Amino acid sequence: MTRTPTADGRRRPNDPPLLILTSLADGPKHGHALAKDVATFAGVVLSPGALYGALTRLEERGLIEPLESDDRRRPYRITGAGVTALAEAVTDLRRIADVGASRLKLASTALA
Amino acid sequence: MTSRRTDLSRLLAWYPPGWRERYGEEFVAMMEDELDSRPPTIAFRASVAWSGLRERGHGAGLAGDPGDAALQARAGSLVVLCSWTAFVLAGASYAKLTEHFARAMPMGTRSLAQLSFDVIFVLALTGAVVVATGVAVALPSFTRFLKNRGGTRLRRKAAVAVGLSVLEVALVVPFLIWAHHLSSVQRNGANVPYSVTFVGLALLAGGVLAQWTAVAVTAARHVDFARPVLRVEATFAVVLATVMAAITGATVIWWGSVGRAAPWFLQGTPEGTSVSPITLNLVLTVTLMVLATSSGLFGVQRIARSWRALTAA
Repeated sequence: MTRTPTADGRRRPNDPPLLILTSLADGPKHGHALAKDVATFAGVVLSPGALYGALTRLEERGLIEPLESDDRRRPYRITGAGVTALAEAVTDLRRIADVGASRLKLASTALA
Repeated sequence: MTSRRTDLSRLLAWYPPGWRERYGEEFVAMMEDELDSRPPTIAFRASVAWSGLRERGHGAGLAGDPGDAALQARAGSLVVLCSWTAFVLAGASYAKLTEHFARAMPMGTRSLAQLSFDVIFVLALTGAVVVATGVAVALPSFTRFLKNRGGTRLRRKAAVAVGLSVLEVALVVPFLIWAHHLSSVQRNGANVPYSVTFVGLALLAGGVLAQWTAVAVTAARHVDFARPVLRVEATFAVVLATVMAAITGATVIWWGSVGRAAPWFLQGTPEGTSVSPITLNLVLTVTLMVLATSSGLFGVQRIARSWRALTAA
């Protein structure tokens, strides 16, 4: 897994399962499409090994499920449990982000 | 199948068979997409290999799950147990290398070496007691697991372990009788067939130990441990890792002390000869100790991460 540095050289925090659930919230995707989407919205490059490791764990926990496919590229979709888990994670992150923004006295537009 | 796909498919060998069957084809397709027309770099191959090994570790119950404190603590404890197995092999090698060391050292130079040796002995005994107690604590859960027909999962591995143990005992008995008829010099390298057999038996003993550890890991993976039992096992694992670290430290002190006062003992040369205290056997032994200790501390790190949630439950 490679983390794309930001403009000032810092590395973005990332959590492959969270990034994958976020990507799948937008609709089913196969591995390569997932990796491209994550790279676009989070600036995080997930290696095939890291991506499939996270996919395996998410499927084991019932947070995503595979879809039938004639192609070798099997798409995955988020399940109801996955949506709940993602919503909880996003709420937690938002709470932290809100506290951070409030303590830094950042306007809401500055975070957007 | 193209040669490129064949090449990428070979990387699947790092993954466990069950995973390959379920995800192999789509994983290879993804690697093809990711690489486009570029050849896989060494870093790419290493990344896949590392992920495959992690998957094997996960399959063996050694990788844990950051979201589940019980799984994390169990995985950490199993990592420590496996590390202890490797450590025991290093310890056996150390025991062989240190035979009669005190006699070889000049009077007045023995105290530190003898003290570290005694500390190692006491710590090794402590480690063995901790492992035995850990097994005893896990026994009721394991018995329940067997009553629920969980034994079928273990049958094959246990059969191999029993077979190897029987073979080891059957070979060691005539070996000991043989050793009894040889002189000390012959037993310490002068008799080549004896030395080769000794190494073979030592390797077999390592195999026996590894196989029983595999049985224990498979059992622990499937046994449903209650939280209090898991807390006790995790505590034992932390003690065991500490014991490994302390033994490694004491071994280095012993080595330094003997190396300064009687390097000839380490090299097996006549008393008083000026030789280097660094020998291949000791380097390999201490390296194995350090690796096993590091791996054990990695397991402790897992346990530490899960400890608060484990004790709060």
